[in-house]
Amino acid sequence: MSTQLLNGVRVVEMTEVWAGPMGSSLLGDLGADVVRLESFPRPPALSRPLREGNAAPGDGPPYERAGSHHLANRNKRNIAVNIRTEDGAELMRRLAGSVDVLIEGYSAGTIDGLGFGWSVLREINPNLVMISMPGWGVEGPYKGYATLGSGLEATLGHTLVRGYPDGPPGHVPTMYHTDATGAVGLVTAVIAGLLRREATGEGCFIDLSQAEAWSWQLAGLQAEWTMNQRLPERLGNVDPHVVPHGCYRAAGGEAGDESWVVVAAENDSQWGGVARALGHPEWAESGHPWASITGRLRARDDIDAALAAYVGERLAEDAATSISEAGGIAAPVIHHIGLMTSPQLQARDWLETVTHQYVGTRQLPGFLWRIEPDAPSWDRVCALVGEHNVEVLGELGYSAEQVEAMLASGAIGDRYGA
Amino acid sequence: MSQPFEGVRIVEVGDSIAVAGATKVLGDYGAQVTKVETRGGGELRRAGPFRGDVPDVNGGAYHLALDTGKRSIVLDHDTPSGLEVLTRLGERSDVVVLHQPAAAGLRLAEAFERLGDGGPSVVTMSVHGLEGPFAERRENDLSLFAWSNRMLRHSFDDQEPMRYSAHVATLQWASTATAVTAATIWGRRHDGVRRRVDVAGVEALAGSVDNWFVPWSFTGANTPRPAAPSRAAFPPPTLRATDGYLAISAANEPFFSRFCAGIGHPELAQDPRFTDAAQKADHYDEFMQHVDAYLATHTRDEAFRELQSFGVMIAPILDVGEAFENEQARVRGSYVQVEQPGFGTHTIAGAPFRLEDGWEAGPAPDLGQHTHEVLSEIGYTVDEEIALFRAGVTG
Repeated sequence: MSTQLLNGVRVVEMTEVWAGPMGSSLLGDLGADVVRLESFPRPPALSRPLREGNAAPGDGPPYERAGSHHLANRNKRNIAVNIRTEDGAELMRRLAGSVDVLIEGYSAGTIDGLGFGWSVLREINPNLVMISMPGWGVEGPYKGYATLGSGLEATLGHTLVRGYPDGPPGHVPTMYHTDATGAVGLVTAVIAGLLRREATGEGCFIDLSQAEAWSWQLAGLQAEWTMNQRLPERLGNVDPHVVPHGCYRAAGGEAGDESWVVVAAENDSQWGGVARALGHPEWAESGHPWASITGRLRARDDIDAALAAYVGERLAEDAATSISEAGGIAAPVIHHIGLMTSPQLQARDWLETVTHQYVGTRQLPGFLWRIEPDAPSWDRVCALVGEHNVEVLGELGYSAEQVEAMLASGAIGDRYGA
Repeated sequence: MSQPFEGVRIVEVGDSIAVAGATKVLGDYGAQVTKVETRGGGELRRAGPFRGDVPDVNGGAYHLALDTGKRSIVLDHDTPSGLEVLTRLGERSDVVVLHQPAAAGLRLAEAFERLGDGGPSVVTMSVHGLEGPFAERRENDLSLFAWSNRMLRHSFDDQEPMRYSAHVATLQWASTATAVTAATIWGRRHDGVRRRVDVAGVEALAGSVDNWFVPWSFTGANTPRPAAPSRAAFPPPTLRATDGYLAISAANEPFFSRFCAGIGHPELAQDPRFTDAAQKADHYDEFMQHVDAYLATHTRDEAFRELQSFGVMIAPILDVGEAFENEQARVRGSYVQVEQPGFGTHTIAGAPFRLEDGWEAGPAPDLGQHTHEVLSEIGYTVDEEIALFRAGVTG
């Protein structure tokens, strides 16, 4: 009999911004029983703008209606606990004693200060896999320092290589990429920890630095320095060895005034496609100065101008389709609506339609992967604060009266104050 | 202590940065990864930079970083003879990870499925998925990013959207495939069921948390792209100290109060000129006079340390060379040296997470270095091996 891949794995997560919540939801997508332990009596200051920003209209509290909160907290149950109270701490100990995996995302050292460091939790549950995922890792001179993804990117050297080639340093649009790398990296780390536990018969601790979780993907930048003692340059969309390789403004399209198209040709065959689409097949015929890779490198500005003119007269989707169908590389730089209008994503029925008591029926991005048999499913919409207090505490042996008393005392909660 | 994925056998097919990235972390944590490559090597081995700017299929940056500890065989699996070898290799493996054009990927996936319940789990990677109207489109790192709904936001208003840096989008897709491949390995150990997994690059990127589709879907409103860093939110995300720049997130409470205290002016956090949303933009320059006075007497690292001690989220903006010398990276050993035969000592990024004795990066294989070893292992005789080589099926 088959089941979802992580069926039977019990996880508790205490994370906020966004690698931890998202990664934990991915574990839920894979079939793990994930309990989100919310901070109570209030969410951490760090997460409030993210949790309440961009809230859907509706009657419920704004902290239950934010889109990213819903995306990154699906397929979990939710309990809200003040672990600084005696009863909350006892609940935390019982929970840690009952699960396979505990994930925490406080600044390095904070969990120890709260009395739930690895040395304590391993005594409570010798089979526990514990993962701490502060930005720069648990140990080291930055211990205790706080950061968002922008700080991680800064110390890896990436901030200085993105942005406009002629712009001042650090003049860059916001990016949250480290949250995406941290999320999938967390899934791999959890499974590595579970495999280690299976091999040794005892739990283990994993120190996941979100900076290091991304660093291995910057191999090209790093090699400029390690191999050639050069600092990589800001290139924008330029690839020094591929022409064309750029982004061109369209006359319009689904993104309206923001309609752009990327075009590239990595080899002569793809260039042939671009040339045909532009109505100049002779540009790719032997003898023409643009027919060869080196000829195109020498003619970068002229080819960019030809593409800018072509794309500039067309709708983004039309230009991209023409070039792509002729054999070149081209894509519209899609606006959000592109995820709904894409014939490909429609054919794959990718978006998920989710109904929630406070936000109504909304569309959310679909799963990161397809699995057969045992496809992922959106079994639980984003849970309310403390929605599963009674259920989870009951599983841990608390009576209904005890739960009621803890609610009354504020050790647990089911709503945030103003 | 054994590595977590020790005993797991993975076959990687596709010659690409995406597929090499997908198996790298599993290999570094103990899986035996066998790369099936084309004669002459493909995209991965041809991606620079190269030392001394001399192209070399055994010396490219992505090959050295992503092929750590793997085996390499050269095999033309488009021929019936090559497909037989590949199938036999797959039969002795736990997982095959494939990155092929859609039709070819489907063909190979089906070939492994014909092995029945004892065959490997199959993970296919393609930018758009194996089926659908875009399945056969050629894409690259740039166009993947354009399709992902991330690129449009990586721009200032009315300016060209940009990618992050080379292959960052592709490797996010790859690490998504790593995660689900790891789950596939775990799941099969427990229920014995082999799975077929499909990881489409566009979905892997557009489905993660850093997108603007969700706010749009929830509010119906388009989040405007800023024309430049805002004057209504301060301190701005980038600050300049005496000798370099800092990245900071302190525009909201309680971080704003901490920042004001950190620069020696706690009273600013109580001043409505700087706290009232309606007034802030008009008083940006006044506020920044205080900030600039502080920064004029602090180096980048002094400001970083001091403001962090006040609980401010701030970080030095380092260049790539400085990143290697960064104190945190040095103390943690965030970068490691690999002895690469024929190349010498090479420095790459270390473990993505720390599990005691779990991670090790071996040297990257030369193209076809293990063809003989692997063919022998899966039962080919000397004469069969010579015949395959002579016909150009192996190399």
